[in-house]
Amino acid sequence: MRQPMAVAGTEAVEALEVHRPLPAREWVVSLLVFALAWELASLFFPPYAVPGWARIGSRLLALRADFVAVTVVRVFGALGLSFLLGVGGAVIFYRWQVLERYVMPLVKLLMAVPVVCWILFAVLWFRGTEARIAFVLVVVCAPIFLIDVLDGMRGVGREWREMLLSFRPTSFQFFTKLILPATLPVILTSWKINLSLAIRVVTMAELVGATSGIGYGLVVAQELFSVADVFAWTVVLVLILLALQAGVTGIERRVLRWRD
Amino acid sequence: MDAYIQVRSLRKIYRQKGSGASVVAIERLDLEVAQGEVVAIVGQTGCGKSTFLNILIGLERPTAGELRIDGRLPYEDFFAFRGRIAAVFQQDRLLPWRTALENVALGLEILGIPLVRRRALAEEWLERVGLGPFRDAFPNELSGGMRQRVALARAFAVDPDLLVADEAFGHLDEVTAHQIRREFLRLVREQGKTAVFVTHQIEEALHVGERVVVFGKPATVLADLRTSEVGGAGASVREWIQRVLTENRRPADGVPGREAEVRSGREEERG
Repeated sequence: MRQPMAVAGTEAVEALEVHRPLPAREWVVSLLVFALAWELASLFFPPYAVPGWARIGSRLLALRADFVAVTVVRVFGALGLSFLLGVGGAVIFYRWQVLERYVMPLVKLLMAVPVVCWILFAVLWFRGTEARIAFVLVVVCAPIFLIDVLDGMRGVGREWREMLLSFRPTSFQFFTKLILPATLPVILTSWKINLSLAIRVVTMAELVGATSGIGYGLVVAQELFSVADVFAWTVVLVLILLALQAGVTGIERRVLRWRD
Repeated sequence: MDAYIQVRSLRKIYRQKGSGASVVAIERLDLEVAQGEVVAIVGQTGCGKSTFLNILIGLERPTAGELRIDGRLPYEDFFAFRGRIAAVFQQDRLLPWRTALENVALGLEILGIPLVRRRALAEEWLERVGLGPFRDAFPNELSGGMRQRVALARAFAVDPDLLVADEAFGHLDEVTAHQIRREFLRLVREQGKTAVFVTHQIEEALHVGERVVVFGKPATVLADLRTSEVGGAGASVREWIQRVLTENRRPADGVPGREAEVRSGREEERG
């Protein structure tokens, strides 16, 4: 049975305060104020400009659930691939720093290219919708995983590395027993950042040439001049992002419970 | 018979990254340690003791000279020493995401000991250092002394031939350090291990070592004495070592309590 032993130091207490989530009460109050202000605005403006909550709610129920599923699958598929490429690249660069010195300038160059340019390149270079969307997501997210994970690996303390090396591990053991677990907090933070980015990028990519997904739903709503539909899709996007972030935070709490 | 650890004209020079200047950490170091011997190395902070230990563990390569353990080079024959050397460092260096039990089992995992046997050994060693009830605690739930005990158990669990301790108890309060030092010595003697214990505290060196080697700055042997021959940790011996360290040269006089030879480098040269 676990027993509390040492009194947490000042550092630990400060860290807990920094990571403390926003209190639920403050969330509820700020959201209610916004909802109320929107509803009030809907009384003074025509429904095609500022629709009331009842109208938005009815549109929410009418949205195509399969579009939501398609977008989520696209995000996870592309993020999974980006993660594998990012971690793979980070491991290679960690081992062969010479390679890093030559390749990293190109990676940083890729990261400076605006998303909209990647979308246009994707339209010009690829025929299939899925290939286009996957390309845009991977080219945007993989470098972020790469840089975050590599930084995390490099940040593993010399003291730990020496301690583990004193037991003479194989390279594989060195990575699995030290480098990867020590980098896990950075990896999870990178997932949170990339999830938020991917949701926005996938929507933009779906705006161009897709015939399914939330981005396509937004295009249709725009063509129909339906602000209620645009707003409903926006609510869905925000909810998906919050749910995914909550999922990662839950995983974080579980696998990083040693930090509590 | 050859000594278990043989150090011959060992040199280590670092090049500073910023200025490019060379820094001599170890200068013509000669030392022999017999199997089963408990040797304390005492020297000033920054004298190259830890560099010497890193070469001994096989984490660094000497610039010149050689260091052999059981006839082999620890850096070049890195994997030949798997499970044969274990270290206890100044900081406990426990992995914070592992429980006390998992930390003790770390070296055993690397050696490929099967899970059941590994758990049994780790539990046994946690019990031996008095931390059986804390097997599932994470390091941040343990006090400094407890964490260092876990680090001790982690080192002993792999059943090494050579134990290396680098200022292992220096950061603990004196009461805790005394307890753990006693625990360390008990385990070393009980297990018949060869141990090299590095410290900057003369008192600690005289307490731990059957033999005390005084390092100069840069690391070279200034004096080498057996505590049994000089009557333990008397004040005059402490003062004598302090003087050797302060003057940073091989002593002209003999160590108090031992009229005959002081096995200093100079006398070996004369011999």
